[in-house]
Amino acid sequence: MEGSPTNPRRREVSDLYATVLEVVKRYHGAARITRISYGAGMPVDRLRNFLDRLLTLGLLTSEEVDGRALYDITARGQEFLDTYWKMRGYIEVFEQAPGWNGRRKNPR
Amino acid sequence: MAEVRVPRHGKVRLGVVEGDLRAEADTEIDVDGRLAVTGEARFDGGSEVRGDMDCRSFRSDDGRVRVRGHLFVTEDLEARDSAVEVDGELKARRVDADRGLTVGGPASAERFEVGGHLDGAQSLTARTVSVGGKFQLAGKLTAESVEAGGAVDLHEVALDSLDVGGVVNLAGGIVRRTVEVGGRFSSTAPFEFGNLSVGGISHFHDRTKGGRVDTGGMMTADRDLEFEDLHTGGICSIGGNGKGRNVEVGGKFSVHGGLNLSGNVEVGGMISVGEAITGINLDVGGKLEARRASFSGTVEIGGAVTTREGLKGAQVRLRRRSRARGPVVGGYVRLETKAVAEDIYADTVELEEKAEAARVFGRRVVLGENSSVAEVVYTETLETREGARVRTPPQKVAQLPPFPL
Repeated sequence: MEGSPTNPRRREVSDLYATVLEVVKRYHGAARITRISYGAGMPVDRLRNFLDRLLTLGLLTSEEVDGRALYDITARGQEFLDTYWKMRGYIEVFEQAPGWNGRRKNPR
Repeated sequence: MAEVRVPRHGKVRLGVVEGDLRAEADTEIDVDGRLAVTGEARFDGGSEVRGDMDCRSFRSDDGRVRVRGHLFVTEDLEARDSAVEVDGELKARRVDADRGLTVGGPASAERFEVGGHLDGAQSLTARTVSVGGKFQLAGKLTAESVEAGGAVDLHEVALDSLDVGGVVNLAGGIVRRTVEVGGRFSSTAPFEFGNLSVGGISHFHDRTKGGRVDTGGMMTADRDLEFEDLHTGGICSIGGNGKGRNVEVGGKFSVHGGLNLSGNVEVGGMISVGEAITGINLDVGGKLEARRASFSGTVEIGGAVTTREGLKGAQVRLRRRSRARGPVVGGYVRLETKAVAEDIYADTVELEEKAEAARVFGRRVVLGENSSVAEVVYTETLETREGARVRTPPQKVAQLPPFPL
Protein backbone atom coordinates (compact mmCIF):
# COMPACT_ATOMS: atom_id res chain seq x y z
CA MET A 1 0.00 0.00 0.00
CA GLU A 2 2.98 2.19 -0.62
CA GLY A 3 3.69 4.30 -3.68
CA SER A 4 5.54 3.04 -6.71
CA PRO A 5 9.32 2.58 -6.36
CA THR A 6 9.97 5.56 -8.62
CA ASN A 7 7.39 7.73 -6.95
CA PRO A 8 7.13 6.80 -3.30
CA ARG A 9 3.93 8.11 -1.86
CA ARG A 10 3.61 9.07 1.76
CA ARG A 11 1.03 6.89 3.50
CA GLU A 12 -2.08 8.82 4.34
CA VAL A 13 -4.55 8.07 7.10
CA SER A 14 -6.91 6.38 4.64
CA ASP A 15 -4.05 4.02 3.64
CA LEU A 16 -3.55 3.05 7.27
CA TYR A 17 -7.26 2.38 7.81
CA ALA A 18 -7.27 0.22 4.66
CA THR A 19 -4.18 -1.66 5.85
CA VAL A 20 -5.81 -2.45 9.20
CA LEU A 21 -9.04 -3.58 7.53
CA GLU A 22 -7.17 -5.82 5.08
CA VAL A 23 -5.33 -7.53 7.93
CA VAL A 24 -8.52 -7.98 10.00
CA LYS A 25 -10.31 -9.43 6.97
CA ARG A 26 -7.75 -12.24 6.70
CA TYR A 27 -8.66 -13.62 10.16
CA HIS A 28 -12.36 -14.20 9.37
CA GLY A 29 -13.71 -12.88 12.68
CA ALA A 30 -10.85 -14.06 14.88
CA ALA A 31 -8.42 -11.12 14.62
CA ARG A 32 -6.64 -10.41 17.90
CA ILE A 33 -5.07 -7.00 18.46
CA THR A 34 -1.54 -8.43 18.59
CA ARG A 35 -2.02 -10.25 15.30
CA ILE A 36 -3.39 -7.12 13.66
CA SER A 37 -0.45 -5.17 15.10
CA TYR A 38 2.10 -7.53 13.53
CA GLY A 39 0.21 -7.69 10.25
CA ALA A 40 -0.26 -3.95 9.88
CA GLY A 41 3.19 -3.13 11.29
CA MET A 42 1.70 -0.75 13.83
CA PRO A 43 2.33 -0.57 17.60
CA VAL A 44 -0.58 -1.81 19.70
CA ASP A 45 -1.22 1.55 21.46
CA ARG A 46 -1.48 3.38 18.13
CA LEU A 47 -3.49 0.58 16.60
CA ARG A 48 -6.01 0.74 19.44
CA ASN A 49 -7.00 4.28 18.33
CA PHE A 50 -7.47 3.11 14.76
CA LEU A 51 -9.59 0.16 15.85
CA ASP A 52 -11.77 2.39 18.04
CA ARG A 53 -12.34 4.76 15.13
CA LEU A 54 -13.16 1.90 12.74
CA LEU A 55 -15.61 0.47 15.30
CA THR A 56 -17.28 3.88 15.70
CA LEU A 57 -17.64 4.20 11.94
CA GLY A 58 -19.18 0.74 11.70
CA LEU A 59 -16.39 -0.61 9.53
CA LEU A 60 -15.41 -3.19 12.16
CA THR A 61 -17.21 -5.21 14.82
CA SER A 62 -15.68 -6.74 17.92
CA GLU A 63 -16.69 -9.61 20.12
CA GLU A 64 -15.27 -10.59 23.50
CA VAL A 65 -14.17 -14.24 23.61
CA ASP A 66 -12.35 -15.56 26.73
CA GLY A 67 -11.74 -11.99 27.89
CA ARG A 68 -10.10 -10.95 24.60
CA ALA A 69 -11.55 -8.77 21.87
CA LEU A 70 -11.76 -10.42 18.46
CA TYR A 71 -12.32 -8.12 15.48
CA ASP A 72 -14.09 -8.69 12.18
CA ILE A 73 -14.74 -6.54 9.14
CA THR A 74 -18.34 -5.47 8.40
CA ALA A 75 -20.08 -5.20 5.03
CA ARG A 76 -19.58 -1.45 5.31
CA GLY A 77 -15.87 -2.03 5.93
CA GLN A 78 -15.66 -4.17 2.81
CA GLU A 79 -17.47 -1.43 0.90
CA PHE A 80 -14.83 1.04 2.11
CA LEU A 81 -12.04 -1.27 0.88
CA ASP A 82 -13.65 -1.76 -2.53
CA THR A 83 -14.04 1.99 -2.97
CA TYR A 84 -10.56 2.72 -1.61
CA TRP A 85 -8.80 0.34 -4.03
CA LYS A 86 -10.85 1.45 -7.02
CA MET A 87 -10.04 5.08 -6.27
CA ARG A 88 -6.35 4.27 -5.77
CA GLY A 89 -6.37 2.51 -9.14
CA TYR A 90 -7.84 5.55 -10.89
CA ILE A 91 -5.40 7.91 -9.15
CA GLU A 92 -2.46 5.80 -10.31
CA VAL A 93 -3.87 5.79 -13.85
CA PHE A 94 -4.05 9.60 -13.81
CA GLU A 95 -0.52 9.82 -12.41
CA GLN A 96 0.91 7.39 -15.01
CA ALA A 97 -0.92 8.56 -18.14
CA PRO A 98 1.23 11.18 -19.94
CA GLY A 99 -0.35 14.60 -20.23
CA TRP A 100 -2.95 13.79 -17.60
CA ASN A 101 -1.22 15.61 -14.78
CA GLY A 102 -3.00 18.86 -15.52
CA ARG A 103 0.24 20.61 -16.55
CA ARG A 104 0.74 22.10 -19.98
CA LYS A 105 3.48 20.46 -22.06
CA ASN A 106 5.11 23.74 -23.14
CA PRO A 107 4.21 26.41 -20.62
CA ARG A 108 5.08 29.86 -21.83
CA MET B 1 7.78 -37.34 31.70
CA ALA B 2 11.21 -35.84 32.46
CA GLU B 3 12.01 -32.23 31.57
CA VAL B 4 15.38 -30.77 30.66
CA ARG B 5 15.63 -27.09 31.60
CA VAL B 6 18.10 -24.60 30.24
CA PRO B 7 18.33 -21.61 32.60
CA ARG B 8 18.29 -17.99 31.46
CA HIS B 9 21.49 -17.03 29.61
CA GLY B 10 22.46 -20.72 29.77
CA LYS B 11 24.69 -22.37 27.19
CA VAL B 12 24.40 -26.15 26.90
CA ARG B 13 25.15 -29.05 24.56
CA LEU B 14 22.31 -31.51 24.00
CA GLY B 15 21.58 -34.58 21.91
CA VAL B 16 18.56 -36.72 22.71
CA VAL B 17 16.06 -35.34 25.25
CA GLU B 18 13.67 -38.00 26.54
CA GLY B 19 10.66 -35.86 27.48
CA ASP B 20 10.26 -32.07 27.32
CA LEU B 21 12.81 -29.35 26.79
CA ARG B 22 12.30 -25.96 28.42
CA ALA B 23 14.69 -23.19 27.51
CA GLU B 24 14.48 -19.83 29.24
CA ALA B 25 15.31 -16.52 27.60
CA ASP B 26 18.65 -15.86 25.91
CA THR B 27 19.86 -19.42 25.77
CA GLU B 28 22.25 -21.15 23.38
CA ILE B 29 21.99 -24.86 22.63
CA ASP B 30 24.81 -26.65 20.83
CA VAL B 31 23.80 -29.90 19.25
CA ASP B 32 25.42 -33.31 19.39
CA GLY B 33 24.57 -34.61 15.95
CA ARG B 34 20.88 -33.83 16.23
CA LEU B 35 18.70 -32.39 18.98
CA ALA B 36 15.86 -34.89 19.32
CA VAL B 37 13.15 -33.95 21.84
CA THR B 38 10.58 -36.69 22.32
CA GLY B 39 8.12 -34.29 24.01
CA GLU B 40 7.51 -30.55 23.77
CA ALA B 41 10.28 -28.07 23.05
CA ARG B 42 9.39 -24.80 24.75
CA PHE B 43 11.29 -21.54 24.58
CA ASP B 44 10.46 -18.69 26.99
CA GLY B 45 12.23 -15.92 25.10
CA GLY B 46 15.02 -15.66 22.54
CA SER B 47 17.12 -18.74 21.92
CA GLU B 48 19.46 -20.30 19.40
CA VAL B 49 19.73 -23.98 18.54
CA ARG B 50 22.96 -24.68 16.64
CA GLY B 51 22.08 -27.70 14.55
CA ASP B 52 19.22 -29.87 13.35
CA MET B 53 16.30 -30.37 15.67
CA ASP B 54 13.20 -32.50 15.87
CA CYS B 55 10.49 -32.56 18.50
CA ARG B 56 6.91 -33.61 19.09
CA SER B 57 5.69 -30.02 19.47
CA PHE B 58 7.37 -26.61 19.47
CA ARG B 59 6.30 -23.51 21.35
CA SER B 60 7.99 -20.16 21.86
CA ASP B 61 6.87 -17.09 23.79
CA ASP B 62 8.41 -13.66 23.24
CA GLY B 63 11.69 -13.05 21.45
CA ARG B 64 13.12 -14.87 18.49
CA VAL B 65 14.08 -18.52 18.29
CA ARG B 66 16.62 -19.46 15.65
CA VAL B 67 17.35 -23.02 14.58
CA ARG B 68 20.61 -23.20 12.62
CA GLY B 69 19.66 -26.39 10.84
CA HIS B 70 16.52 -28.35 9.93
CA LEU B 71 13.47 -28.32 12.18
CA PHE B 72 11.02 -31.23 12.10
CA VAL B 73 7.96 -30.94 14.37
CA THR B 74 5.66 -33.97 14.50
CA GLU B 75 2.70 -31.96 15.75
CA ASP B 76 2.35 -28.14 15.90
CA LEU B 77 4.72 -25.21 15.93
CA GLU B 78 3.33 -22.28 17.89
CA ALA B 79 5.05 -18.93 18.42
CA ARG B 80 3.25 -16.51 20.73
CA ASP B 81 4.46 -12.91 20.46
CA SER B 82 7.61 -14.28 18.94
CA ALA B 83 9.29 -15.07 15.67
CA VAL B 84 10.93 -18.29 14.51
CA GLU B 85 13.84 -18.55 12.11
CA VAL B 86 14.88 -21.88 10.60
CA ASP B 87 18.04 -21.96 8.48
CA GLY B 88 17.26 -25.33 6.91
CA GLU B 89 14.12 -27.31 6.14
CA LEU B 90 10.94 -26.93 8.21
CA LYS B 91 8.27 -29.60 8.56
CA ALA B 92 5.34 -29.44 10.95
CA ARG B 93 1.68 -30.38 11.09
CA ARG B 94 0.49 -26.82 11.73
CA VAL B 95 2.48 -23.61 12.07
CA ASP B 96 1.03 -20.68 13.98
CA ALA B 97 3.40 -17.75 14.54
CA ASP B 98 2.42 -14.32 15.81
CA ARG B 99 5.33 -12.17 14.81
CA GLY B 100 7.02 -13.87 11.91
CA LEU B 101 8.55 -16.97 10.34
CA THR B 102 11.71 -17.19 8.23
CA VAL B 103 12.73 -20.44 6.58
CA GLY B 104 15.96 -21.00 4.65
CA GLY B 105 15.08 -24.41 3.21
CA PRO B 106 11.88 -26.01 1.95
CA ALA B 107 8.88 -25.57 4.25
CA SER B 108 5.85 -27.83 4.52
CA ALA B 109 2.87 -28.03 6.84
CA GLU B 110 -0.84 -28.55 6.58
CA ARG B 111 -1.42 -24.93 7.61
CA PHE B 112 0.76 -21.84 8.00
CA GLU B 113 -0.80 -19.00 9.97
CA VAL B 114 1.56 -16.10 10.51
CA GLY B 115 0.68 -12.72 11.98
CA GLY B 116 3.54 -10.57 10.75
CA HIS B 117 5.82 -11.67 7.91
CA LEU B 118 6.52 -15.04 6.28
CA ASP B 119 9.82 -15.32 4.40
CA GLY B 120 10.95 -18.43 2.57
CA ALA B 121 14.13 -18.91 0.55
CA GLN B 122 12.95 -22.12 -1.10
CA SER B 123 9.64 -23.90 -1.73
CA LEU B 124 6.59 -23.94 0.53
CA THR B 125 3.91 -26.60 0.46
CA ALA B 126 0.71 -26.41 2.50
CA ARG B 127 -3.03 -26.77 2.34
CA THR B 128 -3.63 -23.20 3.56
CA VAL B 129 -1.39 -20.20 4.13
CA SER B 130 -2.59 -17.11 5.97
CA VAL B 131 -0.29 -14.15 6.59
CA GLY B 132 -1.33 -10.92 8.27
CA GLY B 133 1.45 -8.79 6.79
CA LYS B 134 4.05 -9.54 4.13
CA PHE B 135 4.71 -12.89 2.44
CA GLN B 136 7.88 -13.49 0.41
CA LEU B 137 8.91 -16.78 -1.14
CA ALA B 138 11.75 -17.45 -3.57
CA GLY B 139 10.77 -21.03 -4.48
CA LYS B 140 7.60 -22.71 -5.67
CA LEU B 141 4.44 -22.23 -3.64
CA THR B 142 1.98 -25.11 -3.68
CA ALA B 143 -1.24 -24.70 -1.69
CA GLU B 144 -5.01 -24.71 -1.86
CA SER B 145 -5.60 -21.22 -0.48
CA VAL B 146 -3.24 -18.35 0.25
CA GLU B 147 -4.31 -15.19 2.03
CA ALA B 148 -2.26 -12.15 3.02
CA GLY B 149 -3.18 -8.76 4.38
CA GLY B 150 -0.21 -6.81 3.02
CA ALA B 151 2.19 -7.44 0.18
CA VAL B 152 3.04 -10.75 -1.45
CA ASP B 153 6.19 -11.46 -3.46
CA LEU B 154 6.22 -14.95 -4.97
CA HIS B 155 7.98 -17.01 -7.58
CA GLU B 156 6.13 -19.88 -9.27
CA VAL B 157 2.71 -20.77 -7.85
CA ALA B 158 0.33 -23.72 -8.05
CA LEU B 159 -2.72 -22.66 -6.05
CA ASP B 160 -6.49 -22.91 -5.92
CA SER B 161 -7.04 -19.37 -4.64
CA LEU B 162 -5.02 -16.27 -3.80
CA ASP B 163 -6.51 -13.43 -1.76
CA VAL B 164 -4.29 -10.46 -0.94
CA GLY B 165 -5.11 -7.03 0.47
CA GLY B 166 -2.23 -5.02 -0.93
CA VAL B 167 0.23 -5.81 -3.69
CA VAL B 168 1.06 -9.11 -5.44
CA ASN B 169 4.21 -9.70 -7.50
CA LEU B 170 4.69 -13.20 -8.80
CA ALA B 171 6.64 -14.92 -11.53
CA GLY B 172 3.90 -17.13 -12.92
CA GLY B 173 2.19 -20.49 -12.65
CA ILE B 174 -1.43 -21.29 -12.06
CA VAL B 175 -4.22 -20.22 -9.70
CA ARG B 176 -7.01 -22.61 -10.58
CA ARG B 177 -9.95 -20.72 -9.06
CA THR B 178 -9.75 -17.07 -7.99
CA VAL B 179 -7.19 -14.35 -7.57
CA GLU B 180 -8.46 -11.42 -5.50
CA VAL B 181 -6.17 -8.47 -4.89
CA GLY B 182 -7.06 -5.15 -3.35
CA GLY B 183 -4.26 -3.06 -4.83
CA ARG B 184 -1.83 -4.10 -7.56
CA PHE B 185 -1.07 -7.38 -9.29
CA SER B 186 1.93 -8.19 -11.47
CA SER B 187 3.15 -11.42 -13.11
CA THR B 188 6.38 -11.81 -15.09
CA ALA B 189 6.17 -15.37 -16.51
CA PRO B 190 3.31 -17.26 -18.22
CA PHE B 191 0.34 -17.22 -15.89
CA GLU B 192 -3.02 -19.00 -15.87
CA PHE B 193 -6.01 -18.44 -13.60
CA GLY B 194 -9.73 -19.02 -13.16
CA ASN B 195 -10.96 -15.52 -12.37
CA LEU B 196 -8.95 -12.48 -11.37
CA SER B 197 -10.23 -9.40 -9.58
CA VAL B 198 -7.89 -6.52 -8.80
CA GLY B 199 -9.03 -3.24 -7.25
CA GLY B 200 -6.25 -1.07 -8.69
CA ILE B 201 -3.81 -2.12 -11.40
CA SER B 202 -2.93 -5.42 -13.12
CA HIS B 203 0.23 -6.02 -15.16
CA PHE B 204 0.84 -9.24 -17.04
CA HIS B 205 4.34 -9.24 -18.49
CA ASP B 206 4.14 -12.61 -20.26
CA ARG B 207 1.47 -14.78 -21.91
CA THR B 208 -1.64 -14.93 -19.75
CA LYS B 209 -4.79 -17.02 -19.86
CA GLY B 210 -7.80 -16.76 -17.58
CA GLY B 211 -11.54 -16.50 -17.17
CA ARG B 212 -12.96 -13.22 -15.96
CA VAL B 213 -10.35 -10.45 -15.65
CA ASP B 214 -11.72 -7.58 -13.59
CA THR B 215 -9.52 -4.56 -12.83
CA GLY B 216 -10.75 -1.35 -11.22
CA GLY B 217 -8.14 1.04 -12.61
CA MET B 218 -5.71 -0.11 -15.28
CA MET B 219 -4.77 -3.42 -16.91
CA THR B 220 -1.78 -4.03 -19.15
CA ALA B 221 -0.71 -7.27 -20.82
CA ASP B 222 2.66 -7.04 -22.57
CA ARG B 223 2.06 -10.18 -24.65
CA ASP B 224 -0.98 -12.29 -25.67
CA LEU B 225 -3.99 -12.35 -23.38
CA GLU B 226 -6.71 -15.00 -23.48
CA PHE B 227 -9.82 -14.45 -21.36
CA GLU B 228 -13.53 -15.02 -21.06
CA ASP B 229 -14.64 -11.57 -19.92
CA LEU B 230 -12.36 -8.57 -19.63
CA HIS B 231 -13.57 -5.69 -17.52
CA THR B 232 -11.46 -2.62 -16.75
CA GLY B 233 -12.63 0.63 -15.16
CA GLY B 234 -9.98 2.90 -16.67
CA ILE B 235 -7.27 2.03 -19.19
CA CYS B 236 -6.59 -1.37 -20.73
CA SER B 237 -3.85 -2.44 -23.15
CA ILE B 238 -2.71 -5.71 -24.72
CA GLY B 239 0.76 -5.80 -26.28
CA GLY B 240 0.12 -8.97 -28.33
CA ASN B 241 -3.15 -10.50 -29.49
CA GLY B 242 -6.35 -10.66 -27.45
CA LYS B 243 -8.81 -13.55 -27.54
CA GLY B 244 -11.96 -13.90 -25.45
CA ARG B 245 -15.68 -13.42 -25.13
CA ASN B 246 -16.73 -9.98 -23.85
CA VAL B 247 -14.82 -6.74 -23.23
CA GLU B 248 -15.98 -3.80 -21.17
CA VAL B 249 -13.57 -0.90 -20.70
CA GLY B 250 -14.53 2.43 -19.13
CA GLY B 251 -11.78 4.52 -20.70
CA LYS B 252 -9.20 3.64 -23.34
CA PHE B 253 -8.50 0.18 -24.78
CA SER B 254 -5.58 -0.61 -27.07
CA VAL B 255 -4.49 -3.88 -28.64
CA HIS B 256 -1.24 -4.03 -30.58
CA GLY B 257 -2.17 -7.18 -32.54
CA GLY B 258 -5.64 -8.50 -33.30
CA LEU B 259 -8.66 -8.93 -31.06
CA ASN B 260 -10.83 -11.98 -31.63
CA LEU B 261 -14.04 -12.06 -29.56
CA SER B 262 -17.02 -14.36 -29.45
CA GLY B 263 -19.16 -11.75 -27.65
CA ASN B 264 -19.55 -8.02 -27.19
CA VAL B 265 -17.28 -4.99 -26.86
CA GLU B 266 -18.30 -1.93 -24.87
CA VAL B 267 -15.76 0.87 -24.58
CA GLY B 268 -16.58 4.21 -23.01
CA GLY B 269 -13.67 6.09 -24.58
CA MET B 270 -11.36 4.98 -27.36
CA ILE B 271 -10.45 1.57 -28.77
CA SER B 272 -7.40 1.06 -30.94
CA VAL B 273 -6.58 -2.31 -32.54
CA GLY B 274 -3.46 -2.74 -34.70
CA GLU B 275 -4.88 -5.62 -36.72
CA ALA B 276 -8.46 -6.92 -37.10
CA ILE B 277 -11.15 -6.88 -34.43
CA THR B 278 -14.05 -9.34 -34.61
CA GLY B 279 -17.04 -10.03 -32.38
CA ILE B 280 -20.83 -9.89 -32.13
CA ASN B 281 -21.78 -6.39 -30.93
CA LEU B 282 -19.66 -3.25 -30.61
CA ASP B 283 -20.51 -0.06 -28.71
CA VAL B 284 -17.84 2.65 -28.62
CA GLY B 285 -18.54 5.97 -26.90
CA GLY B 286 -15.53 7.68 -28.46
CA LYS B 287 -13.24 6.53 -31.23
CA LEU B 288 -12.45 3.20 -32.92
CA GLU B 289 -9.23 2.62 -34.86
CA ALA B 290 -8.43 -0.72 -36.48
CA ARG B 291 -7.13 -2.26 -39.67
CA ARG B 292 -10.50 -3.95 -40.01
CA ALA B 293 -13.54 -4.29 -37.72
CA SER B 294 -16.04 -7.03 -38.36
CA PHE B 295 -19.10 -7.75 -36.17
CA SER B 296 -22.00 -10.10 -36.75
CA GLY B 297 -24.48 -7.98 -34.73
CA THR B 298 -24.91 -4.29 -33.97
CA VAL B 299 -22.18 -1.65 -34.20
CA GLU B 300 -22.65 1.76 -32.57
CA ILE B 301 -20.01 4.47 -32.79
CA GLY B 302 -20.34 7.63 -30.69
CA GLY B 303 -17.34 9.63 -31.91
CA ALA B 304 -15.25 8.44 -34.82
CA VAL B 305 -14.14 5.30 -36.59
CA THR B 306 -11.04 4.88 -38.72
CA THR B 307 -10.29 1.64 -40.54
CA ARG B 308 -7.99 0.82 -43.44
CA GLU B 309 -10.07 -2.09 -44.77
CA GLY B 310 -13.49 -1.27 -43.37
CA LEU B 311 -16.06 -1.58 -40.62
CA LYS B 312 -18.75 -4.25 -40.93
CA GLY B 313 -21.84 -5.07 -38.88
CA ALA B 314 -25.33 -6.49 -39.38
CA GLN B 315 -26.54 -3.08 -38.20
CA VAL B 316 -24.23 -0.08 -38.07
CA ARG B 317 -25.23 3.14 -36.38
CA LEU B 318 -23.01 6.20 -36.51
CA ARG B 319 -24.32 8.49 -33.80
CA ARG B 320 -24.94 12.23 -34.12
CA ARG B 321 -21.89 14.18 -35.38
CA SER B 322 -19.73 11.06 -35.56
CA ARG B 323 -17.10 10.51 -38.29
CA ALA B 324 -16.19 7.39 -40.27
CA ARG B 325 -13.02 6.97 -42.36
CA GLY B 326 -12.76 3.81 -44.42
CA PRO B 327 -15.66 1.84 -45.91
CA VAL B 328 -18.71 1.05 -43.77
CA VAL B 329 -20.45 -2.21 -44.64
CA GLY B 330 -23.67 -3.63 -43.21
CA GLY B 331 -27.09 -5.07 -43.62
CA TYR B 332 -28.49 -1.80 -42.32
CA VAL B 333 -26.39 1.38 -41.97
CA ARG B 334 -27.73 4.53 -40.36
CA LEU B 335 -25.95 7.87 -40.16
CA GLU B 336 -27.52 10.05 -37.51
CA THR B 337 -27.79 13.83 -37.75
CA LYS B 338 -24.61 15.52 -38.99
CA ALA B 339 -22.67 12.26 -39.07
CA VAL B 340 -20.08 12.01 -41.86
CA ALA B 341 -18.87 8.87 -43.66
CA GLU B 342 -16.92 7.89 -46.77
CA ASP B 343 -18.22 4.89 -48.77
CA ILE B 344 -21.21 2.94 -47.46
CA TYR B 345 -22.23 -0.53 -48.65
CA ALA B 346 -25.46 -1.98 -47.22
CA ASP B 347 -28.81 -3.55 -47.97
CA THR B 348 -30.50 -0.48 -46.47
CA VAL B 349 -28.81 2.89 -45.96
CA GLU B 350 -30.43 5.77 -44.09
CA LEU B 351 -28.92 9.22 -43.70
CA GLU B 352 -30.57 11.49 -41.16
CA GLU B 353 -30.73 15.29 -41.34
CA LYS B 354 -27.51 16.96 -42.55
CA ALA B 355 -25.61 13.69 -42.61
CA GLU B 356 -22.96 13.30 -45.31
CA ALA B 357 -21.41 10.44 -47.24
CA ALA B 358 -19.14 10.02 -50.25
CA ARG B 359 -20.56 7.03 -52.10
CA VAL B 360 -23.60 4.99 -51.11
CA PHE B 361 -24.32 1.51 -52.47
CA GLY B 362 -27.61 -0.09 -51.36
CA ARG B 363 -30.76 -1.92 -52.28
CA ARG B 364 -32.80 0.71 -50.51
CA VAL B 365 -31.47 4.22 -49.77
CA VAL B 366 -33.12 6.99 -47.71
CA LEU B 367 -31.58 10.47 -47.72
CA GLY B 368 -32.85 12.72 -44.92
CA GLU B 369 -33.46 16.47 -44.97
CA ASN B 370 -30.46 18.49 -46.14
CA SER B 371 -28.27 15.40 -46.24
CA SER B 372 -25.54 15.21 -48.85
CA VAL B 373 -24.04 12.37 -50.88
CA ALA B 374 -21.56 12.49 -53.76
CA GLU B 375 -22.82 9.35 -55.51
CA VAL B 376 -25.70 6.89 -55.00
CA VAL B 377 -25.96 3.45 -56.61
CA TYR B 378 -29.10 1.42 -55.74
CA THR B 379 -31.14 -1.54 -56.94
CA GLU B 380 -34.71 -0.94 -55.64
CA THR B 381 -35.68 2.40 -54.06
CA LEU B 382 -34.18 5.83 -53.42
CA GLU B 383 -36.08 8.20 -51.15
CA THR B 384 -34.85 11.80 -50.94
CA ARG B 385 -36.29 14.20 -48.38
CA GLU B 386 -36.41 18.01 -48.65
CA GLY B 387 -33.04 19.59 -49.32
CA ALA B 388 -31.23 16.27 -49.79
CA ARG B 389 -28.49 16.52 -52.41
CA VAL B 390 -26.78 13.97 -54.63
CA ARG B 391 -23.93 15.52 -56.60
CA THR B 392 -23.98 13.11 -59.55
CA PRO B 393 -27.24 11.66 -60.89
CA PRO B 394 -28.24 8.55 -58.86
CA GLN B 395 -27.81 5.26 -60.71
CA LYS B 396 -30.37 2.47 -60.50
CA VAL B 397 -28.63 -0.79 -61.40
CA ALA B 398 -29.64 -4.47 -61.62
CA GLN B 399 -26.81 -5.59 -59.34
CA LEU B 400 -24.57 -3.80 -56.85
CA PRO B 401 -20.79 -4.18 -57.02
CA PRO B 402 -19.29 -6.71 -54.55
CA PHE B 403 -19.06 -5.30 -51.02
CA PRO B 404 -15.69 -5.09 -49.29
CA LEU B 405 -15.01 -7.41 -46.28
